[in-house]
Order: sequence, then C-alpha cells, then structure tokens
Amino acid sequence: MKTEELNALRGPLLLLVLVIAAAAGAIYYTQLLHQQAQTALVRQQNQLREAQTRVQRSGDEKSIIIQYVDQYRQLQQSGFIGDEQRINWLDALRIANERTDLFGVNYEIGVQQAYAYAASLNPGQIALRQSVMKLDFRLLHELDLLRFLDALRAQSTGLFHLDQCLLRRTELSGAIRYQPNISAKCELAWITATPAAAPGGGRP
Amino acid sequence: MANKLLLCISVNGATAARWKRGRLHDCEVFTNDDAGIAAFREFAAGSRGAPAFIIVDAVEEDYRFETLPHATGSDRAQMVERKLRQYYRGSPYSAASLIGRDSSKRRDDRFLFSALTNPEVVTPWLNALVEAELPIGGVYLLPMVIPRLVSVLENKSDNLLLVAAHPAGLRLTFFREGAFRLSRLSRVDAAAGAHGRALIDEISNTRLYLHALRAATLDEPVTVVLLDHADRLEAITRAIGEDNPGLSCTRLGRNDIAARLKLDPALIGISPATIYLHLLGAKSPGSNLASPATTATYRRYQARRQLFAASAIAASIGVVVSGFNLSQQLAVRSSTEETARRTAQVNAEYQAATRQFPAAPTTADNLKKATELAQQLRTSATTPERFFGIVGRALAPSPEITLVELGWQHRAAEFEPGAAATGTAPAGRAAESVVAGPRKQSGLVAGQVRDFKGDFRRAIAAINALAERLRNDPAVDSVRIVQLPLNVSSTLSLSGNTSDNPAQAGNADFKLVLVLKQPS
Repeated sequence: MKTEELNALRGPLLLLVLVIAAAAGAIYYTQLLHQQAQTALVRQQNQLREAQTRVQRSGDEKSIIIQYVDQYRQLQQSGFIGDEQRINWLDALRIANERTDLFGVNYEIGVQQAYAYAASLNPGQIALRQSVMKLDFRLLHELDLLRFLDALRAQSTGLFHLDQCLLRRTELSGAIRYQPNISAKCELAWITATPAAAPGGGRP
Repeated sequence: MANKLLLCISVNGATAARWKRGRLHDCEVFTNDDAGIAAFREFAAGSRGAPAFIIVDAVEEDYRFETLPHATGSDRAQMVERKLRQYYRGSPYSAASLIGRDSSKRRDDRFLFSALTNPEVVTPWLNALVEAELPIGGVYLLPMVIPRLVSVLENKSDNLLLVAAHPAGLRLTFFREGAFRLSRLSRVDAAAGAHGRALIDEISNTRLYLHALRAATLDEPVTVVLLDHADRLEAITRAIGEDNPGLSCTRLGRNDIAARLKLDPALIGISPATIYLHLLGAKSPGSNLASPATTATYRRYQARRQLFAASAIAASIGVVVSGFNLSQQLAVRSSTEETARRTAQVNAEYQAATRQFPAAPTTADNLKKATELAQQLRTSATTPERFFGIVGRALAPSPEITLVELGWQHRAAEFEPGAAATGTAPAGRAAESVVAGPRKQSGLVAGQVRDFKGDFRRAIAAINALAERLRNDPAVDSVRIVQLPLNVSSTLSLSGNTSDNPAQAGNADFKLVLVLKQPS
C-alpha cells in the first residue's frame, strides 16, 4: 500500500482503533460491573439464607439459652470464659500448696497464645487460648503431686490441662523424716474461651 | 445505500443523475460541447464525495468471446492481461470477464473481452469528474447493464433481440439462452429509426450478422422486444410481426418499462438513458473498463468507507454488549435490593423473636458451644495417676531396682528423654504450637539396679524383666529401652577393666520410655 493511500486512510484507521478500544473498554467495564453485582447478590442471598435459618431455629435457640445460660455464667465466674484470671490462679496455687503441706511452689506463667489442641475440639465461633504455667516444687512422695493437682482443680478457678511432669529423686541414701526428697517440675496450660461477637440479629 | 453520481455518455452528449436511497434524482442531459461539459462540471460539483459510475453508449465498442486454458490466480490474470494487450493495445478502456467454463473435455475458461476503442468519447467527461474530485468507480459499456433488464422482462425466449432507439442511434442487443452474445449501435437517425423502415432493416441486418457469426441461424425463431420509451413504435411492432413470420415482436411502452423497473416514467421522458442509469445505480456490472489508475481514488474511497463501516460495527457491538451487560447488572442489582429487603424483614422477625428469649450474655450457639467445650476439656484433662500406677505395679517384683527419675507427658508427641521442656524451655514459649492429632500419655522411667556388683548380665536381665512386665500391662502401648548399664551393640567400641572391684562398681543405670494406650 502506497504512502499516499496510507495517509488517506490514517483518519479512519485511527477512528477504528479508538472505537475498538472504547468498545472493548466499555464491554470489559460493564462486564466487571455485572460480575460485581452478581457477587453482591450471592452474598446477599447467603445472608438471607442465614437469617431464615436463624428464624427457623429461634424456637430451638430459646430452649438452648434456657438450658445453657446458667452453666455458661458459672464458667464465666470460674474464669474459663472471658479474660484470664491470673490472680485467681495464683491464689489457687497458694491454697493448694497449703492444703497439701508442700514446701512452696515456684511458678512462671508465659504469655497467652492460641490453644495448641483447639482444632481437635472444633470450637466454632469460640477462640480457645492458653497460658502455660511452669511449676517447680518439692515433694515427699510421688502421690503428693496427685494430691496437689486435685487440690488445685478443686479451687474451680478455671480450666487447666497438665501437659508434662518430671519427678527426680534428690536423695537416694535414706529417708530423713519430713525432708523433701523429690523435685518436681510440671507444665500446665490454663485454657480460656472467648466467644466471637454475635452476628447481626443475634442478641447479646 | 450509498449515494452515487451516474453518467451515461454518448457521442451526442451525456445524461447524468444522482443515485440516492435506491432511486434516481436530479436527472439532467448535457450536450457534448464546452457549454454542456461546463454545465456538467457544475452538476458534478454538487455530488462532491460521492463516487461516479459511467456507462458509454458508443459505436466504438468491441466484444470478443475467447476460450483460454483453465487457470487461477496470477496465471489467469497474466493470461488475460496478455490477451487484452493483444486485442486492444491502443485503448485504456478494456476489460475481461469470466462467463463460465467450456463444456469440452478440457473445461477451458470462457471469457468476454470488451473495450471502448475510442477513449475520446469519455475523456472530457472524465476530466470534469476528476476536476470535481469525484472518485471514479467504474466505466462500463452500456450493454453490460442490459442483462439485468432482460431478467426484469422475464422473457424466456432462447433468442432474444432487444431493440431500443437511443439519441446516438439504434441499440440492438442479442441474448442467446439468456446470455449476452452481441450488441451493436447503429447510427441511424433516431426519428427515422422510430418511424421508418430503418428499424426493420437494422433488425434484418442484425439477424444476418448473427447468422454470419453462427450465433443464431436465420431459421431459428427470434423474439424481438422493442423498448419504446417514447411510445411511438406500436405500428412498427405490428408491421415487423406481419412482415417476418420468424420473428415474434413485442413492445414495451414507457409505462411498462417504468413499472417493471420501479422507475418514474417522467425520468424516462427526460432521456431513455435513465433506464440504463437506473440499472447501473442498482448494481454495477462486472466488466469495468477503467484502469486501476483511474479507479485508485475510488478504492481509497471504498477502503475509507469499509473502515468507517467497521468502526460503526465495532461501536454497535460495544453499545449492544455493554447495554446488555448494564441491563443484566441492573436486573441483578434489583434482585440484590429485593433480597436485602427480605433479609431485613427476616432479621426484624428474628429480633422480635429474640425479645422473648431470656437474657443471655451471648448467642445460643456460643452458650452451648462454650459449655460443651468446657465439658470436653474437663473430660480430656488427665493426671499421671494411671502412669504412676502402671510403673508401681511393674516395679513391685523388683526390689533391687530403685527409681531415680520419672517423667510423664500428655501430648501428641512421645516423651523424649533429655528433651523435656520442663526446666529448660522458657516460660514465655509454649512447648508446642498448634498441633493436630490426638494426645497420648507417655513417660520416662529412669532407675538403677542397686548393688549389682559388676554383674551386667544380671542387671540387664532385671531391666529387661521390668520392661517385659510393663509391656504385658494391657494399658501400655509400647516400651522402649533407651539406656542400659552396658551397651553391647556391635556398632560401638566397648572398654573396661576386669580387675575392678565388683563391690565398688556402683549402680547400673537404665532408662525406659513407655507409651500408654488411649483409655477406651
């Protein structure tokens, strides 16, 4: 094609390119709008389904509240639900030590973090967290450990799981009465639960 | 339909008209002199931008039917070009059109070669168009548009002779089985041709000529159709029929022609050329005599129009598809709003229902789940009590064994001697991060065989017996001895002194790791 012919066609060619670009842009943009609208519709339909399910289950919900609310409040008071009650834990530790006639307990509480075995419990909307407490104390007999743990659990200051204990005999030569001859180091996890905020429509 | 300027040129002058929306408009006749050409130049200036199409009604025309070996593409083009140069070396207005394949075995290509042998007939008019900057779409011989007229006439005759009195003379065109075979313009006075003997003579001459060309013998019946645009040939039509039994002669008056072509009869009154201009405007014939140089401007004009058309198509597609998308989007948004309204209604119903609920610190689901979780955690909590019991029962028959260390853990992993987190891991870091899999009880039993007096065999037997008792406990899953007083493995070196006093040999240390079964 000669230059003269190309020059004559430059305007229409430019127009064609512009029109194609504009048409493609318009099609792309409107398609995007359509897709966004479709996504919003699907989201809204899901919300409607959830709302309808909540309404259908509202009768069950009422009976569930009646059945569980008292136990839930007790768990709140014990410190399992809500913020950590570390002072209560230390009080419980002190009382358990006194009641089992131990020789004092050294403790160290770590920072709070996600509960390691939460997934196996399927907690749903509830966040399970743990704070690891390390205990270091001395015993007269192995069974003193069990008595101490029972005494600690009896305080009802929350829920804990004993993870690990290591008992080591400190004196092998012979027993001197009322002298601790076993050192014990234990790790236990204080577990707390935090329910997620109620979804729209839920009653706190 | 695109606007065009249509021009029919003869030696006497030219008839021009504008083609708009499928109809002829502004038909004018121009004389073949300076004044006429100047007037035409002005007329053409009024059609600036529109392409011009020209038909020529002149005696200086030539038609040849030629058979060429079948070829395609550039081979055919070169062959045709050579033939055109051979036949019409002096004329720039020549063309060839393929009209079919030969019925012979070789199936050669049949061409119609045509030319305007006197370009001077066209030149002044063409110059006027070029001055008016009109792109030249094509130059054709007038008979090339007549086949469309034949199809409009719906005459089924095998031999059809179409006769029309034009200002330039009598135009006689012969069709054999519907296909163009011959056309000639006889320069007789139009008035004489219309009223006198001349018309009958020219028909007879044409028949003789057809016979000479072997196009149609004198014995064959021929249908003669007179295009009587002036409505003056009624008597002659009868006379021809009476004088020539072999001829079937019919006449088409002005109104008949106009009706068949859907043409205004008044236009035919201006000039009979309007009949052919109408046919030319409706569809350009194939044999374009104009050289590529003459039609270069028209090709650019066509390319521009095609580009504009493509732009229009692209814009239309864009508008239609975008419009469809927008309408879809509006429909979806409308559905979304409706769904949102219904959701709000359902939520309101739920709120109304929850007012009847007893006061609760969280949702019913959370109440239930939290309570169940607490119960699960309480149930899964365990102490070393079972482990101590198992170890105690196993140790009871072996008073020579003394426990030194007792480790226990309730985790997914087994107890690792020497890697116990207790006492070594900082309190700020958990011994385990998020883990999967069930937890199990495992532990370490580290002890001594007291007073073994260097009798490693007896000490190891006592340790193995302890391990065996542990294995036999139904609550134990596995027992692993991780340390013995003496390692007799062949993969390690072993050294000592037999003169050592066995009484001073001390205690034989050992370590066992045991894993308990999950309580059923």
